[in-house]
Amino acid sequence: MITATALTKSYGHTRVVSDLSLHCEPGTITGFLGPNGAGKSTTLKMIVGLSRPDHGTSTVGGHPFGDLPNPTRVVGTLLDASAMHAGRTGRATLSIAARMAGVPTARVDELLDRVGLSDAADRRVGGYSLGMRQRLGIAQTLVGDPQVLILDEPANGLDPEGIAWMRGLLRDFADQGGTVLLSSHLLHEVQATVDNLVVISQGTAVASGRLTELLASSSLLLRTPDPEDLARALRADRIDYQPGPDQTFTVDVLGGRVTPEIVARVALQQQVLLTELRPSDSGGLEQLFFSLTADKTAQPQEAAA
Amino acid sequence: MTSTTMTHPVLTASANSQATFTGIPFGRLVRVEWGKATDTRAARWLLIAVAASTVALVLAPLLSPSSIDQSYTSYLGFAAVALSILLPVVSILTLTSEWSQRTALATFTQEPRRMRVVTAKIAVSLMLGATAAVFGGLVTAAGLGVAAASGRTLDANLTAGLLAAFLLYVVLNVMTGVALGALVHNSAAAIVASFVLSIGFGLLGRASQLVAEWLDYSTTFTWLLNGQWAGHTAQILVSVFLWVAIPLAAGLFRTVRREIS
Repeated sequence: MITATALTKSYGHTRVVSDLSLHCEPGTITGFLGPNGAGKSTTLKMIVGLSRPDHGTSTVGGHPFGDLPNPTRVVGTLLDASAMHAGRTGRATLSIAARMAGVPTARVDELLDRVGLSDAADRRVGGYSLGMRQRLGIAQTLVGDPQVLILDEPANGLDPEGIAWMRGLLRDFADQGGTVLLSSHLLHEVQATVDNLVVISQGTAVASGRLTELLASSSLLLRTPDPEDLARALRADRIDYQPGPDQTFTVDVLGGRVTPEIVARVALQQQVLLTELRPSDSGGLEQLFFSLTADKTAQPQEAAA
Repeated sequence: MTSTTMTHPVLTASANSQATFTGIPFGRLVRVEWGKATDTRAARWLLIAVAASTVALVLAPLLSPSSIDQSYTSYLGFAAVALSILLPVVSILTLTSEWSQRTALATFTQEPRRMRVVTAKIAVSLMLGATAAVFGGLVTAAGLGVAAASGRTLDANLTAGLLAAFLLYVVLNVMTGVALGALVHNSAAAIVASFVLSIGFGLLGRASQLVAEWLDYSTTFTWLLNGQWAGHTAQILVSVFLWVAIPLAAGLFRTVRREIS
């Protein structure tokens, strides 16, 4: 379990994280999503005690991170897979983690095998690709047999096969009661992995909840060759609509009170032909996320212009 | 042992819950840090260089019997100087590599009580220093053995006090490296600073006797090595305070407070 309450952090006059709260339950994977520079890493660092919040508190497994006597037994942390000693072998890197956790070193071989690095174990990490370092980093997080995983951009540098592998590994971990918090700046990267989502922009949580709910479209898209008839039919049943281009209409679902079935029945009763009836593409979350990312990339261009 | 079956995150009380609430013993931290200080190729080459330079410098009095004083302390003095050059670099790297290699990110999530980690690193530096001092003593003994075997008369002027002074000299030089490494978290900058400061104060010492006698630790530490405490005690203590105590205290403070990114 991970809980953060009202975390706030400034560097100088720049507010990096502002009043951010999140809660991750055992058995779930939570995606921490936001554009680069939104404050994801800073938040994760505050949770694991590498950065001091100006205000706010956080706990992992019910305790402030700094109070955990042997943290790797409770929470596996991977904040930056490239932050490894280049001169040390993969095996040596894991052995250090195993000795710190106080687990038998036999576990090192077991984990190297599990993350597919057995053959590269005795090569120096300096020669590893980023994907291999991510795998080694994941092995490092699992060393102490923790109940919680905190991962910053774990999919960085992984090929599609590697991402699928990690997805399976995290799903297993959560299914066995583990808690996972992972960050990403790519919606599609986490969409297939996470149960819950916290979206952060400029240090503030702008959306959070179950992925299915956040992704659910807030409106339906209708298309008909007879727009005037359809408009009349909708008005007759007091369904609000927005006419769109190419003989389309958008209808707000009003939190589920308007369903595709209701719309289809209206069309049937008034004998209006529908050629399309589906949740609209501009689903809330995707729209929100793209607008956040767009804002973020638009700013430097304005500044340069 | 349930902990060998890694596919089970601990949900219920198990053998692991005991380990969860037991802190990391300090002895384990020291063993881990000893491993980190010696397990890379760079670290091993540096330790080999320390050993080689010690042997090389002890060869000097052995090969120049006419120009260099043939006494036990003279031979030991060459070993001491050799150790004072590279051993501080070993200590610097022990402290700085966490930052230069960015492993601090992992290390301080494994043990969030940063002071314990740094204390373990200092313990390792002192152990390496003591080992190097013993090695220096052995090389000196070997050099003296060869000199004696070749029929030279050697002044057996070494006392227990001077032997202790030798150990203290090596340890203090190690501690200057530790202090600098704790304060300056960048390997290259700390190593450069260590040489520039020591050479710089040596040069300033030529211009100002005050600097030479109070601030240039190579001068004051040499008094200590030679057992010349009389009249120099205050100067030795001031230089230790200035080059070890102050930067170490500032460095520990910085390490504990630093935001890690």
